[in-house]
Amino acid sequence: MKEQTLSSLLFNQVQAHPDADAIIHGDTRVSYAELWRQISCLAVLLEQRGITPGSRVVLLMDNSIRYVVAYYALLRLAAVVVPLNTGLKGAQLSEVMGHAEATLLLHDGLLHDGKTRELDTGVSGLQLNVGDAELLDGGVDPRRSLPGDQTLSDRSLATIIYTSGTTGKPKGIMLSAGNLLANCLAIIDYLDLQSRDRLMCVLPFYYAYGNSVLHTHLAAGATLILENSLMYPQRVLQRMAAEQVTGFAGVPSTFRLLLLRCDLSRIPLPNLRYITQAGGPLAPSDIERLVKCWPQARFFVMYGQTEATARLTYLPPDRLRDKAGTVGIPINGVRIKIMDEQGAERARGDTGEICAAGPNTMLGYWRDSEASKARFFDEWLRTGDLGYQDEEGFITIVGRASDMIKTGDHRVAPEEIEEIIADLPGVEEVAVVGIPDSLLGQVVKAYVVLAAGSVLDTRQILRHCSLQCAPYKIPKAIDFLATLPKTASGKIQRYQLLKSPTPTGKMYQEDNL
Amino acid sequence: MYRDKLRSFILENYLFSEDSSLLNDTDSFLDKGILDSTGILELVFFLEEEFEIRVAEDDMVPENLDSVENLVKYLGAKAA
Repeated sequence: MKEQTLSSLLFNQVQAHPDADAIIHGDTRVSYAELWRQISCLAVLLEQRGITPGSRVVLLMDNSIRYVVAYYALLRLAAVVVPLNTGLKGAQLSEVMGHAEATLLLHDGLLHDGKTRELDTGVSGLQLNVGDAELLDGGVDPRRSLPGDQTLSDRSLATIIYTSGTTGKPKGIMLSAGNLLANCLAIIDYLDLQSRDRLMCVLPFYYAYGNSVLHTHLAAGATLILENSLMYPQRVLQRMAAEQVTGFAGVPSTFRLLLLRCDLSRIPLPNLRYITQAGGPLAPSDIERLVKCWPQARFFVMYGQTEATARLTYLPPDRLRDKAGTVGIPINGVRIKIMDEQGAERARGDTGEICAAGPNTMLGYWRDSEASKARFFDEWLRTGDLGYQDEEGFITIVGRASDMIKTGDHRVAPEEIEEIIADLPGVEEVAVVGIPDSLLGQVVKAYVVLAAGSVLDTRQILRHCSLQCAPYKIPKAIDFLATLPKTASGKIQRYQLLKSPTPTGKMYQEDNL
Repeated sequence: MYRDKLRSFILENYLFSEDSSLLNDTDSFLDKGILDSTGILELVFFLEEEFEIRVAEDDMVPENLDSVENLVKYLGAKAA
């Protein structure tokens, strides 16, 4: 039995500041009391529809107040939240729904036309549009207790977060109620989040980073201001000024975009007191420029992964300069070891795989005990990242042991794109890699070997990809080769293809803008 | 003249097709998921290169850039 849960932390804030703004989205503001009322209404409704502890329910929504209502309603029923990337296309969506054995899909009716049609064919009969205002009109006693309010054990499954995987093998990361709670409290602690904080959130809640931003700020009684697109970054900055934000969270491409396209000195943000950055490396020179623009704000470089709920380490802002290039030290409750391939600890200063233990490491992969086992040395989560620790324990990442492509705030498994391209008649073989990109960190590149006599061109391949997958997964470059480099046993050697990659993103260079 | 060039740029680079029926001139690039935050940078680069204009920071608003129709108006105003 647990005394504290994410929803109990939220309820504490509802009681402490019922009238304070919890979330602001567009012109809509919702107070803590109203948020709780809506959560209670939806939870009761979902309970009536048969959602019980352990039921898997998919959330397919961009960031919105309704997303938060749905998420916490499910937590309060001790159901399992399965948030999915809204860019998922029909076949992949049905596959993940099936893999999760989800009994219901919650959406807000705001998906693009094409996606709604795909939804209808894939999962008809299992959907509930929580964007329907009447749903949440009912009168429910907000003090009514629900299953998830008191019966959660630390290890009860709370959410499954899917990352890019291959057909027949979606990767669903299982996080427990205890994982979410422990990581939430540790982050609140080092960021020193307060109820007076107001954070501009441009990160999608369906990924681990956005998910942690959501829970930490609600648990602290702060205000979240939602903007779902950075297409017009000046608008976001103006909104930040108007809302007097105190916090901003981004991935490297968020900050690169601001630095490239905006004159940050034109829009003063005097209340900004913390900036958080995770999701891959941002050049120390870019960090320096941001710190110069917003000298009053503390800049937190952070590192983690979904398998660790979100966060593993952070660089204390007062060490930002003398420990530049590191990802800092473990957060509260987390221990880090650098290990060799057999799971033996390496000497201080030597490079090896970064492994982590703590209350935030995942339960495993959903319905894949083999992959789960491979990810742990006993209690130690293998991050797949290579790095070393200095004498003070600060960690430097030097590379990744896996081929996963990091593009913007997304992760893409090369095998997923290879499968999609290989499906196209006329393709004999294909290999996908991540190549350097000045804005997004990496972008997807495909090397294609055509079957004899085939006349496929780049556009046909790209069109095929655009119908099958989200835009960020579509290759930015395609090269045609006669053969792919392979090992003696026939395995494609992706690293050979990376030996002389052509960097993309020339157009983002500042002297061109 | 702007319209045809803009339409073929969007069709070619973001819809990967010559099928004109896939793009209405009033389709919102944001709402329809045609462009994202990097796509808009590529569009701005294209505008600056192709039409020899400078897209100022203050011009980066949906009223100017979020559909073929808006772009045609914006370019017309820039040329005037």
